[in-house]
Amino acid sequence: MTASRRTFLGLLGLSAAATAGGPLLAGCSEKPTASGGAENLDKFANLLPARKELALNISPDIAGTPPVPSGYTKYPSTLIDAITGKPGTSGKEITAMTPVWGPAPPGIGQSAYLQAVNAELGVPVNFTTQDGNTYADKLNAMLGARDVPELLCVPGWEIAKIPRFSEAVKALFEDLTDHLKGDAVNAYPMLASYPTASWRHAVWNERLMAVPNPSDGPFPWALFTRKDLLEARGLAIPKSLDELLTMAKQVTDPAKNAWAFDDVFPMIQIYHKVPGSKFGWRLKADKTPEFKYETPEYRQALEVMAKIYKDGLVHPDIVASKGADAGLLFAQAGSIVFKQAGVGFWQGAQAEHQKVNPKLNIQPVPVFSATGGDPLMWRADEPISFTFIKKGAGKERVEELLRVINWCSAPVGSQEALLREYGVEGKHHTMTPNGPVKTDLAFKEIANQYFFISGRNPTIGPFPDTPNYVRDLLGWSNETVKYLEADPWEGLKVEMPDKFKAFAVPAEEKFTDVLRGRRPMSDVDSIVAEWKANGGEEARDLLAKALSEAGR
Amino acid sequence: MKRPRIPFRVRLQRDWQLLVMVAPGFLILLVFSYVPIAGNVIAFQDYNPYLGDNPLEAFLHSEWIGFGQFQLLFEDPAFWHALRNTLTITAFQLVFFFPLPILLAILLHSLLSSRVRGFIQTVVYLPHFFSWVLVITFFVQMLGGAGLLAQTMREADLQPWNIMTNPDTFILLVTAEAVWKDIGWGTIVFLAALSTIDQNLYEAAAADGAGRWRRLWHITLPGLRPVIVLLLILRLGDALSVGFEQFILQRDAVGREASEVLDTFVYYFSIATGNYGYGAAAGLFKAAIGLCLILAANKVAHRLGEQGIYAK
Repeated sequence: MTASRRTFLGLLGLSAAATAGGPLLAGCSEKPTASGGAENLDKFANLLPARKELALNISPDIAGTPPVPSGYTKYPSTLIDAITGKPGTSGKEITAMTPVWGPAPPGIGQSAYLQAVNAELGVPVNFTTQDGNTYADKLNAMLGARDVPELLCVPGWEIAKIPRFSEAVKALFEDLTDHLKGDAVNAYPMLASYPTASWRHAVWNERLMAVPNPSDGPFPWALFTRKDLLEARGLAIPKSLDELLTMAKQVTDPAKNAWAFDDVFPMIQIYHKVPGSKFGWRLKADKTPEFKYETPEYRQALEVMAKIYKDGLVHPDIVASKGADAGLLFAQAGSIVFKQAGVGFWQGAQAEHQKVNPKLNIQPVPVFSATGGDPLMWRADEPISFTFIKKGAGKERVEELLRVINWCSAPVGSQEALLREYGVEGKHHTMTPNGPVKTDLAFKEIANQYFFISGRNPTIGPFPDTPNYVRDLLGWSNETVKYLEADPWEGLKVEMPDKFKAFAVPAEEKFTDVLRGRRPMSDVDSIVAEWKANGGEEARDLLAKALSEAGR
Repeated sequence: MKRPRIPFRVRLQRDWQLLVMVAPGFLILLVFSYVPIAGNVIAFQDYNPYLGDNPLEAFLHSEWIGFGQFQLLFEDPAFWHALRNTLTITAFQLVFFFPLPILLAILLHSLLSSRVRGFIQTVVYLPHFFSWVLVITFFVQMLGGAGLLAQTMREADLQPWNIMTNPDTFILLVTAEAVWKDIGWGTIVFLAALSTIDQNLYEAAAADGAGRWRRLWHITLPGLRPVIVLLLILRLGDALSVGFEQFILQRDAVGREASEVLDTFVYYFSIATGNYGYGAAAGLFKAAIGLCLILAANKVAHRLGEQGIYAK
């Protein structure tokens, strides 16, 4: 590449500067450095809040196999007032930022939902909602500028993409340890009900720095299908990868505007049992960490997915632009028959689009093994997100903010949760014998804003507008949970080296080139070598060290 | 010839209204263009935004590493790749995009009916106000694998062309998108320049027997020349910026190889990874090249007897 740089500078008549520049640059410079680290969360038990479960007079209808939460199929008929008194006392507006997937909901001035909840809070929360798919980019810029809102939602999976995150936490956010540790948390009874395991992940630099939003399901992805479309074609939900791929060819018919898939590469990896711990690691028999790129399973998955692209089974809009809306192509248009999504996609899509298409039936495809033996499912049972409080707000303000978070954390069976999830009766929902059913306004205005600045002891449902959902989800979850991957680094918080984080996207893009047929499969070895040289080996050493320090 | 010097106070008294009018614009320039220049200091630092108690202290406390970021940058094949792509696209668009608004302006100018002209102008201006997401969605709906063209071809039992996801023809695609979006907008300046050409010249030429093409060659184009040269110089100064969103949106469709330009490089290797010093170094390099190009182009313009963007 030096050659091309010379040619280029030569074009400008600057070749003299280029030759002089080499030693000059080397002479008075140092290359920037930075690195990661690991913390053993077992050490911080004394920082965590003491758990105290809420006494609710309702119990779940369907039990989940832990870590799958239990579910409610019926909306409780009597609701309690979980919180007496208004959490807000100052009246001073609270700024907050949360992610949203899909169209952004209207702001505080135009939203009857935000106004209603804010009235109950006694203090207005003014949300900025940002596209969830590019949330990390916004976070990076915001943290780098040290310009954060009073309540900041940071999704768990984005943290891995943010360099120097623990330094940012130290510089920008309030230390909550003394507010919440031990019995101090009793001032916030909803927070005290969170599972202790989720609090462990909210420790940075050996202090409790955030309020976790405990995970309500341990799976990062699921493959969904339109069962109604399959039935119309006389097909049933596939039971193996071969069946899925055969069916994909059957349903793909461009003349009828139908394609089998959106980008389903992570699911194809899961079917091939590619490792997924800490976003792609596992231990070899000799206890050295191994990343997914290095495994034969990943190559098989790569080949299968590349063939899916080559055979034209992925919807062309998805292939052509990041601007395409796969959710609509799947749930509304039916041009995609199998779509990969986070589990949270299911209920919202079913509820919203069944209003127009009553036959709509979104169902998950069971997880299967492409290579024989038991299947494997990646694990994502760390908190969904964390709520950070901006540093320097003062003790009283921090307490007020924690009371607001506490209010937003009220569980199912409370008036607060009804308002948070279903808005105002008559405007956002109508009451039916089964419970509240959302109106169109609700789909427009309610976008989990308050959910993302709080947390709950996880439960599933109830969802009166999709009466079969909780049963279907728990059926699928209780089956899938048997195959949950074991994480060798469970309970260790690892911050990857910056070099590794910086090369994560370029490496993924190189594999995307292979997937889309722009690079041959034979290039994989060189991409892996490049990955090793660009932080891969450092990450491996860090993970190995973290394990040996934890005595595992 | 030397004009008599007017004292400052007298000039102030005479011009103060003008100065007041300029003040807001100047203030914006100062706050958003000049003050941030100081931030370029991080190109020479191992910048850590979390040092100290505020952003200013972060600048002061970050470690000084001289040209380390530049050294990394110049050793990075991805950077040279992005630079090469950017220059190729600029060169291509200079030849195949830059002249088009001139042609369209001349064409519009020759229309007699002002109503027809107004209508066409409105239609061709409109896409300029669309966002890139919309423009690309429009192209996908028309030319993509599930779009109008592909479906029509399928109905006719033809194999649809691969237009939206072919890295080899990506440069044509982005240029076509840019032309569709901005050709109308680009005509505005040229139409204004055309309206200043003396109509008598055309009449005199016609009386002397000059045909349509000779009038175009000897009157219209020379009349437009200063404006063309000015815009060409400004475009050259911007040579290393060819767009951003347009490339981000289509990145997965054609791959990094074809779509990486300097601005996306800075985004992926600096903003998205929090490696600000590195991005600042790339940005500074880009600005330096842009300045060189402007100076060089201006010099050429002076040689050709044009005024350029500033007089000598």
